[in-house]
Amino acid sequence: MKRRDFVKNISLASVATPFILNDLKFQAIGKELFSTVKSAEGKVLIIIRLGGGNDGLNTVIPLDQYANLTIQRSNIIIPESNILSLASNPTLGLHPSMTGMQSMFNNGKMGIIQNVGYPVQNRSHFRSSDIWHTGLMDPSASTGWLGRDFDNSYPNFPADYPNTTYTDPFAISMGSEVSSTCQGVMGNFSHSVEDPTDSFNLTESTQANDGTYFGSHMQYLSTIISQTNAYGSKVQASATAGQSLSTLYDANNPIAVQLRYIAKMISGGLKTKVYILNINGFDTHDSQVSSTNVTLGNHADLLKKLSDAVRAFQDDLSLLNLEDRVAGMTYSEFGRQIASNASLGTDHGDAAPLFLFGTCIGQLVVGPNPIIGNQIVDQEGINMQIDFRDVYASVLKNWFEVPEAEIQPLFEHQVTFYGFLNGCSVGLDENSKDISKAIVFPNPAANQTTIRFNSQSEWVKIEILDLTGKSVATVFDGNLDKDTHSIPCDLTGVSSGQYIVTINKKSGVEMVKFMKVKAI
Amino acid sequence: MIPEQNVETPVSLSMSPYSGAWTSSEASHLLKRTMFGPTFQQIQDSVTNGIDATIANLLTVPLINPPLTYESTEAIAAFGTTWVTSVYPTGDSQPTENTRNSSLSAWMMQKINTESLSIIEKMSLFWQNHFSAEYTFDARATYNYHTLIRTHALGDFKQFVKEMSVDPSMLFFLNSVSNQVFSPNENFARELLELYTIGKGPQVASGDYTNYKEQDVLEGAKILTGWTVDGMRSDTIATPVAAFNPSYHDTSSKQLSSHFGDAVIASNGATEYQDYLDVIFQQPALATFICKKLYRFFVNYDLTSDVELTVIPVMANTFITNSYSISAVIEELLKSEHFYDVSLRGTMIKNPLELIFSMINTSNSVPNFDLATNLEMYTNIYYFTSSLGQSYGAPPNVGGWPAYYQAPSYSKLWINSTYIKQRFMIGYYITMLTGIQVNGNFFKINALTLVDGLSSPSNPVSVIDDLCIVFCPKAIGAIQKLTLKAILTNGLPDFEWTTQYTDYINNSGTTTYSDPVRIRVENVLASIFQMPEFQTV
Repeated sequence: MKRRDFVKNISLASVATPFILNDLKFQAIGKELFSTVKSAEGKVLIIIRLGGGNDGLNTVIPLDQYANLTIQRSNIIIPESNILSLASNPTLGLHPSMTGMQSMFNNGKMGIIQNVGYPVQNRSHFRSSDIWHTGLMDPSASTGWLGRDFDNSYPNFPADYPNTTYTDPFAISMGSEVSSTCQGVMGNFSHSVEDPTDSFNLTESTQANDGTYFGSHMQYLSTIISQTNAYGSKVQASATAGQSLSTLYDANNPIAVQLRYIAKMISGGLKTKVYILNINGFDTHDSQVSSTNVTLGNHADLLKKLSDAVRAFQDDLSLLNLEDRVAGMTYSEFGRQIASNASLGTDHGDAAPLFLFGTCIGQLVVGPNPIIGNQIVDQEGINMQIDFRDVYASVLKNWFEVPEAEIQPLFEHQVTFYGFLNGCSVGLDENSKDISKAIVFPNPAANQTTIRFNSQSEWVKIEILDLTGKSVATVFDGNLDKDTHSIPCDLTGVSSGQYIVTINKKSGVEMVKFMKVKAI
Repeated sequence: MIPEQNVETPVSLSMSPYSGAWTSSEASHLLKRTMFGPTFQQIQDSVTNGIDATIANLLTVPLINPPLTYESTEAIAAFGTTWVTSVYPTGDSQPTENTRNSSLSAWMMQKINTESLSIIEKMSLFWQNHFSAEYTFDARATYNYHTLIRTHALGDFKQFVKEMSVDPSMLFFLNSVSNQVFSPNENFARELLELYTIGKGPQVASGDYTNYKEQDVLEGAKILTGWTVDGMRSDTIATPVAAFNPSYHDTSSKQLSSHFGDAVIASNGATEYQDYLDVIFQQPALATFICKKLYRFFVNYDLTSDVELTVIPVMANTFITNSYSISAVIEELLKSEHFYDVSLRGTMIKNPLELIFSMINTSNSVPNFDLATNLEMYTNIYYFTSSLGQSYGAPPNVGGWPAYYQAPSYSKLWINSTYIKQRFMIGYYITMLTGIQVNGNFFKINALTLVDGLSSPSNPVSVIDDLCIVFCPKAIGAIQKLTLKAILTNGLPDFEWTTQYTDYINNSGTTTYSDPVRIRVENVLASIFQMPEFQTV
């Protein structure tokens, strides 16, 4: 079948989302068991770019350095009494406009990684953004860190996509531009979405690449037009079917509006793995703080937008029962210099903190507070302690469960893996309240998952069944003592899709639905 | 680097004057790259006049009128007069500023819509992208910044940078006004080197970017201390002007790095920054950096290693030996064999301004209503271009628009799922639908003017051929042409179109005859505007 015809068929077929049908099927078995995840299609990562270089020292404030910070940035420093405290972390505080993120942190849903950067920091917005987007120091690099990983999993993009297996955009960039992080060798994996409910079909054309620059543009345009139609109809169907339940979103906060769209797309069943958002304006050379009140001003407004929006989104995910599937991170091309300038601002610097959010975080702070000197040194920035590329690598490993062996080749340095976002055990915590119920975690899972259940001293048989009830694997068959058991389960031979784990015990049968996904 | 598939090597890398055939194909390539929407007539005239005379024409800079007041919210300048040297009202000046900015954005669109056969509007866009200042908070200063660009767009680049360094808009844009001896602000000093003059090379050591070091940023900021602006948003001063305040100036000697031969810039008050620029302009890296940027803008986003080794050095040498004359390097480029190489046609995706004005200008469509309506039409066109990612006067960041610097996609960044929809909708809107509506007036493409100006409008084959010359960078396939012709003739035999068109000519002013012709041409245009070919230049 010609690609063009194929694309047309997809856009017709995509209106009905098959997994909704599956859910109906499951309800016949027992509604309660399957309430955890509606569309169970794997994990989602939200990336929020703070464009322009965020002033880390006025965002996450090292309180043990406060006296020296006063020397360095007397005209912009936040009064100690206004700084928001963080549970269990007496030496760190947040900017006063970040009440939303404060409450998330205190509830274990926000983490801070301190002093993130890269060796030999470059203070050009453009070069530094390129480094953050490619995840490589090589100046000729042109693929994004996510783009390279996508290229490994989805060869021949964009020409062969979407197709019957991969109907949805792999990544979505909110707004009208695509993200360089998703640049693959032949195309950008992010699909730009301004308003996901918009439906507009473009006239398609088939244009061959005649081997010239012109020909490559013709091919590119034809592909984009087809993808716009095919992906657009999937996005629209999902956003229309999806829900948003939180009342905390501020309709005047563009990031909140975009995150709300994302909540709808995820809850509507879109299988997109990565969503990327941008907040610009962090290049605060002047008027970073208001001249009349240092707790207000441009930087305060930006941080408030970020913090409020993420807080609302997390609330929404919780209400939608999607929290376990979604995590997020922020980044910025660099931090700013330790000393402020006379324009109530700060100039380009080096390392800075980044945020993680999601249920699986705990009150996490990675890395020590930066050390601030008691004398101003021209142009001094914060030294890097954690390489941003290791943050990326850890996200791929811990969140998307990409094998280490596949991650290392994506980068040019020797990767160090950190433990954050590791095995989203929040599901475990929640279920600990009701320890009698069996759970599968992580769920969805790529290569490895664990089945946890209670038993009496009795015979137990654990099987994985497909949706037709056919057994595809026997995980355990034998006698167990009275205890809580955690049995690891290798999924490498199991094809992607939805399954039911059945735990047959003399004391009763338990069933848990889970999703096997392809590693990102 | 990204492997660009199957890209053929340009046949000629020669910068010698082009001496091959001079047909509508070459002439239209030249005009499309140097203008926004050349008409069929302009292309034909250029064929007749020849390459040298055409380029001589392109390098002239016509005078234009300043922006005019057209809204009642302007408190000082009378309706229909210009406000560019008018003070602001005492008290709340924001309504006046808002209306001046509307007038200014209308003016930006009007000057492109009414461009003559000159490169000046394209060249101005190049420099707006290069010196990427946004609208400042005094529309007069913003206007003066754009006028400064227009004045020097084809002139002496060294003088241009000197004046730009102390242009009031620029002084505010990169915080020079708060760059004082006691607390330097590096913003302008960094971008002056990285983006405006010498360019950043590979980072070879900590703080060392091949062409300059962090030390030069630091010392440069000191050199540039002391500048402020008088009269911003003033109710007494007619034009904001840069002012040098010696007490804010750092009077130490400034030690530059080895990349500038360890030069020392002695304290020299208000002209010290010029001494510094003279040193910067002694570095050959500057000409190379600027010429690469010109090449990417006018020829091809892809700077192949062949081009870097052969074309760029010739351009850079011309730039230096002609004392940084911009027109000298542009003239050589536009006359070169390399520029006309057939493999370099259609190498760029049209930027949003090229896209919109290649729809409008090609038919001489100019809003022709009352002043307020006309300018309101232009502000609507401005919103069109903004919705496609290019707001004139407001580049997204200090590096300009990513389509001009972001590898590997470059101009492909103008196209994604959001923008392509918007591009198609606008094309449809101004052909098949009502067009832009203001005060009960409608502005759409003048399809009849367009078809009347073609070589043989009564011949449908010729009409389609001519439209392809106007709208496509290369010849299109025979089947595509037949499809377009079938849209023009509504699927009837060719002679039916000839009859229809002849009836319209013989019954001028009668919509009974003109409407069917207009509607058929609008249908063809709507189709062309959705062809991938039309998106490129």
